[in-house]
Order: sequence, then C-alpha cells, then structure tokens
Amino acid sequence: MLDMERDYNHNVVLIMVGEFEFLILSAAAHLGEEAYGAAMREVIETAGGRTCSLGALYTTLDRLEAKGLVETRMSAPTQERGGRAKRMVRVTGKGARAARDFYEAVVRISRETAWGRAPGDPA
Amino acid sequence: MKSLRGNSGAGWRCIETAAGLLTPLEREIVLGDLAETDRGALRGLIDVLGLAARRQIALWKSWRPWAASLGLALPASLFLLGWSVASSGAVARLLQEPDQSYLVWLSLSRLFLLICWAWMAGFAVGVVSPRTWWASLLGCCAPCLDCLCKWPGHGFSELQLLIFLVPGLWGVWRGRQHLRLSPGWAVFLVTIAMLAPIRSGRGGYLYGCCLLWPGWYLVATAIRQPTSQNN
Repeated sequence: MLDMERDYNHNVVLIMVGEFEFLILSAAAHLGEEAYGAAMREVIETAGGRTCSLGALYTTLDRLEAKGLVETRMSAPTQERGGRAKRMVRVTGKGARAARDFYEAVVRISRETAWGRAPGDPA
Repeated sequence: MKSLRGNSGAGWRCIETAAGLLTPLEREIVLGDLAETDRGALRGLIDVLGLAARRQIALWKSWRPWAASLGLALPASLFLLGWSVASSGAVARLLQEPDQSYLVWLSLSRLFLLICWAWMAGFAVGVVSPRTWWASLLGCCAPCLDCLCKWPGHGFSELQLLIFLVPGLWGVWRGRQHLRLSPGWAVFLVTIAMLAPIRSGRGGYLYGCCLLWPGWYLVATAIRQPTSQNN
C-alpha cells in the first residue's frame, strides 16, 4: 500500500543521456520514419556542425537501444544502396522523455549565464 | 542524399575488404550507408576501420578474450608443444622398432590424448571468444615461434613441434561454428584430457590440471544449453 504523504521521487530512475546521444535522438526524431544511419549522420553533420563517424554513430545507437531509448529494425534492400538493407531507427517514448529531460536541463542550467544571454544580445 | 557513384574501384574494394572485420549484418548496413553517401574511399575506409576498432575494444571489456588468449591459447600451446614432441618421439621409435608391441600402444595412446586435448582446447577458444580468434592465434603462435627458433633439429623434424595445431585449429573452426557439444561428449573429452596430465611428470601434471578449465566450462555450458546440432 502506498503512503501518499511520502515522497517517492528518490526511487525514480532518471536516464540522463549524453551530448552525442542527444544529437542522435534528435536526428532520429527529426527524420521520423526515414531515420537510418546515413540520413542521421547527414543531419548531425549539417545541423550539428560537427563530423560524425559511422563508428561513433553505430556504437552509440547500440547503447541507446540497450537502454531502451530507441528501437531498430532492418528495412528491405534498396537499389540506391547497391541492394543492401538499412537499419531503421525509431525513438521510443522513454527516449523522447530522456531527450526532453536533457534539453530542459541544458536550458535551465544555461539561464542567466554568459552564453544564455551574451552581452549585446537584444533583451 | 547523393546517389551511388561507381562502387567498383580499388578504393571501394579496399573498403569491402576492411568490412570483412565486421559482422555480416553490420557489413551490409555500413556498406549500404557508404554506397549511398559516397564520401570518398579514404573517408569510407576510416569509417569502417574505426567501427571495427570500436567493436574490438568493446569485446575486450569482457573476460572472454582474455581467458581465451592469455588463459588458454598461450599456456595450452606450451603444454601441447611438449606433448607433440613426446607423441612424435614415440611414433619415431615405433618406426625404428616395429616389432615392439608396447610402442604401438604408447604411440597410439599419446596421439589420441594429444588430438583430444588439442581439439578440446581449440574448441573452447572458438566458443569462449570467437571474434577475437586473432589474439588467441597470437597467443598460440608466440611459444611455437620461440621453440622453433631454439629447436636443435632442422627441416622436417621441426614439424614434430606443431602436430597439435591440426586438431587444435579443427577445434577452433568447429567452436566458431557455434556447434554445441552434448553433455556426454563434453564429459568424455574432459575425462580423456585429464589422462594427459596424469601421464606427464609432476610439473606437467599440475600444469595440465590447471589447464582443464575449458573442459569443465564446456561441460557446464553443455548441461545448461540444449544441443542444437548433432556432433
């Protein structure tokens, strides 16, 4: 029987993602049904302004899948890829919550800091 | 996304060769990604090698590659080098004195024990850590090369040292194919393998008994998991 007066928050396991994991979750969420390795890499490199190796991408995807933050499946082979299949990625509800928590933490901690509002920025 | 642009050049062949380091499923995914984006052969090669390196590093966080290479392949090859010389020596004596019946028994029993022991050790290496077979091979080859350098004989006699490699490599090959031993076969192998240290001197007895752990590991896994293939 739960005691409703007590605070059980200490029993809640928070899954905090890292910066690169957040980028992958964001890229997958952005691409939706079309999320797979090569497309996510292009989004991360274009929008994130950083290089992204396939090694880093796939080892991080495996970690995210082990944590239950994404689900992956193999697609049908396509001619564009020389008859090879894609590893399609879908962000789970747990993954979306973890990414949102990370984003909110970054916004909260950046408030009132020099990079949150740089000198000369419009009020 | 750029379309596929000629993936039959030397650069692409290098990438495909390097992708052999990956598992078949991951190879298909990665080669497909590279074919689709076409970022150049060098970048593709770095991508594939980088992923393979990350996968290998991840494997070495487990106890399995350490146990297979340093805990089994290296010490077992030292033990089996001695048994190879003993077995081939018995056969050589039999060829010189073919009328001595005890030499027939001695040669056959030593060869049989050598084959069982080497196959069991190789099989355990293949089962315990199939994807780091190269490290186990290095662990096995190091004492072999050292002995070959110091071996007083020359020519054909040097092969006496390496007889154990044939059943050992056969065992590794079967282990990597995910063959499951039945409990009966595993117990039979480890029982036969126990006879080898018993027939050695005191030092060899202790050393050989310490090296029986893969046999008991195979027995334990055979009991826990049902046989998936007939052996």
